[in-house]
Amino acid sequence: MINTILIFPIIACLLMLVIKNKTFSTLMVNTYAVIHAVITTMFTLNIGRDSHNPYFVVDNTNLIFLIILSLVFLMVAIYNTGYVKNFEFPDKKIRNYSFMILIFVLSMTGTLLSTDLGLAWVLVEATTLSSAYLIYFNRTKHSIEAAWKYVFICSIGIALAFVGIILLNISTGSINTLNFAHLYKYASTFDHIWLELAFVFMLFGFGAKMGLAPIHFWLPDAHSEAPSPISALLSAALLNSAFLVIVRVFKIMTLADCAGYARFMLLIMGFISIFVTAVFVYHIRNYKRMLAYSSIENMGILAIGTALGGAAYYAVILHLIGHSLAKASFFLTSGNVLELFESKRVKSVNGLMTADGKTGWLWVLSFLAICAFPTSVLFISEFIIIKTMILQGHYLLCAMFALLLTIVLYGIGKVVIKMTFGELSKDKKELIEQNKSKVSGFMYLPQFIMLLIVFTLGIYIPPFLQQIINCAVAGF
Amino acid sequence: MINGFIILFGLTMLYLAATSRIIAHIRLLVIQGILLFLICCGGMEHLNWLNFAFLTVETLIVKSIIIPAFLYKVLKKTHSNRDVAANIPHFYCLFIASIILLAGFLVSNYYVSSVKLISPIFFGVSVATIIISLWLITIKHKIISNVIEFITMENGIFLLSLSVAKEMPMLVNLGVLLDVFIAVYILGLFINVINKEFKDLEVSHLSDLKDYEYND
Repeated sequence: MINTILIFPIIACLLMLVIKNKTFSTLMVNTYAVIHAVITTMFTLNIGRDSHNPYFVVDNTNLIFLIILSLVFLMVAIYNTGYVKNFEFPDKKIRNYSFMILIFVLSMTGTLLSTDLGLAWVLVEATTLSSAYLIYFNRTKHSIEAAWKYVFICSIGIALAFVGIILLNISTGSINTLNFAHLYKYASTFDHIWLELAFVFMLFGFGAKMGLAPIHFWLPDAHSEAPSPISALLSAALLNSAFLVIVRVFKIMTLADCAGYARFMLLIMGFISIFVTAVFVYHIRNYKRMLAYSSIENMGILAIGTALGGAAYYAVILHLIGHSLAKASFFLTSGNVLELFESKRVKSVNGLMTADGKTGWLWVLSFLAICAFPTSVLFISEFIIIKTMILQGHYLLCAMFALLLTIVLYGIGKVVIKMTFGELSKDKKELIEQNKSKVSGFMYLPQFIMLLIVFTLGIYIPPFLQQIINCAVAGF
Repeated sequence: MINGFIILFGLTMLYLAATSRIIAHIRLLVIQGILLFLICCGGMEHLNWLNFAFLTVETLIVKSIIIPAFLYKVLKKTHSNRDVAANIPHFYCLFIASIILLAGFLVSNYYVSSVKLISPIFFGVSVATIIISLWLITIKHKIISNVIEFITMENGIFLLSLSVAKEMPMLVNLGVLLDVFIAVYILGLFINVINKEFKDLEVSHLSDLKDYEYND
C-alpha cells in the first residue's frame, strides 16, 4: 500500500511524458487524489499498514498528517478541475503544471512517511524544487520575484537544517544513525550541548519551510503569487510536513532531557510569528497576502501549543486539522474572488455578496472558521491552549496571546467585511457578468465540504478520529 | 597537510570579503573546489573507492568546473563585473570576516577539543565559512554575488560534513545532493529567467512585493 501511494505518481508522470494531452494530465492528478484518499482511508481502518519498506512507514504520529494531506489534496484536485479550464496557456505548460503537482504531493507524502531524518530532509528539498515551478507558473515579474525569494530563503533554510543534521550526528557519539526510531531509543545518551546546537539549526531550517517568523519572508510572497489551488496546497499541506519533522526532532529533545530548551525556542518563535502577523495584517492591501500572514499566525499557534505541552498537544492536533481545512477553503475561495474581480487588491473588491452569493458566503464562513468562531474546531483548540497557559501560570503570556489574536482577528475581519458587503459600481458589474462563467460548480463544492467538516468537528469528533488524535498526541 | 589546506580554504573567504570583482569570486570558487578535493584525498583512507570516486566527481567536476562555468556564462551575458554598491567598505568587510574566522578558531578550540569525533580546525573553519557567507549575502547587491556566497556557504557545509565522513559517509552524499540541487535550480533556471525578465541582476529590482505600497 505504501509503495502504491509513492510509486503511482511516478508512473503517472512517465505516462504524461508519453501521452501529451492536457485533459489526460488533469485526469492523472484527479486519479492520484482518489488513490491517495482511498489508501489513506485503508490506513485509517488499519488495513495494509504493514509494508516491508524500511524507509517509509505509517505510524501513530504521521497518520493524522497523512489524512489531512489526503483530504486537502482531494479537495484541491476537485477545485483544480474547474480551475484548469480557465487557463489560457499552451497545452505543454498545463501538462507541466499537473506534472509538478504530482511531484509536489509525492514529495510531501514521502516527507510524512519517511522513517529517516536524512530522507525527510531530501524530500523537503524536493518539495522546494517542485513547488517553486508552481509558484512562478504565471511567469509575471512578481511571480518570478516570489519564486526567487522562495527558492533562496528555503535553500538557505535547508542548508542550515543540514548543518543541524551534521551536529546531531556529532552529538550521537558512536551511534551513527538518522533513523527516528533509533534516535529515540538512544536519545538519552546524546551529548546535550551539541544536541541543543543541532536543534537550533534544525528549527531554523525546517522552521523556514514551516513559515515560522523570523524566517517567514518567502511565505506571503509565494502564497499570494501562486495559483490559488497551489496556495491552498502550500498552506494546508506543505507547512504541516515541515511541522511534522520539527515534531519528530522535538521528541528527540524530550527523550534526551533537553525539552525545556526546545520549548523555550518554540515559544519565542511562536510568539514572534503571531506578533509579525498582527503588525502586518493590520494594514494589509492584498487579500491573498492576508491569508498567507494568517498561516504564519496559525503556525505560530502550533509552535506555542507544542511548547506548552500537556493538554496543549491535543489542541495542536485539533488546530492542525482545523487550520488546514479552513485555510485551504479560504485560499480556494480567494481563487474565485480573483477570477471574478481580476485583482488581488482589497480596494478593488467589494459587494462580494451581490456579485456572487455563494462565493460571498464561502468567504464569510471561511473567515468565521479561521477566526475560531464557535463551532469551528479552532475555537476548541485555541481555548485549550489558553486554558493550558492559565493552568501553568503563564498569565502574562496568556494576555499577550489573546491580545495579539484579537488584533489579527480585527485586521482580517475588517478586510473580509469590506470585501463582502457594499454596492457594486456599474463597470464592476459588467466585469463580473463577463467572469461569472469562469467559476464553475467544482469551484464551490470543495470549500463547502471542508467548512462543514471544520464546523462539525467543533461539536462532534467521531470515535475513530478521537483515537487517531490520541495516538498522534502520544507521538510528541 | 590537510590542516594546511583547510586554513587555505579559510583564507579564501577573506579574499572573497575583500574583493568586488565578480570574476575573481568565480575563480575563487574553482580554487575552493580544488582545495576540497585535496582535503578529500587527505582523508581517503577512511572511504571506500566508490565513495571516493563520487566525491572526486563532486568536488573536481561539479564544484570546480560546472558551477563556475555556468556563473561565468551568466557574467558574460550580463556584463556586470563589479558589485560596487556594497554597503560596507572593503577594509571593514575584511576586518569583520577576519574576526569571524578568528572567533571560529578560538571557540572551536575551546569547545570541540573535548569531542573526539571531530577536529577543531575542521569545525572552526567550516562554521566561520558559513557565517561569513551568510553575512556577505546580506550586504551584496547583485543576485549573482548572492548565488556565489550561497555556494561558498554550501562549500563550508560540505567541509563540515567531511569531518564526520569517517562515521557516516551518507551525510556527505546528502551534502552532494544539496549541491546538485543548487546547480540545477538556482543557476540553470532562475538566473536565466530573471535575466530575461529584468535585464540586469540587481537585488533591488526584486523588491516589488510589499505589504504597504501594493503594486498590482
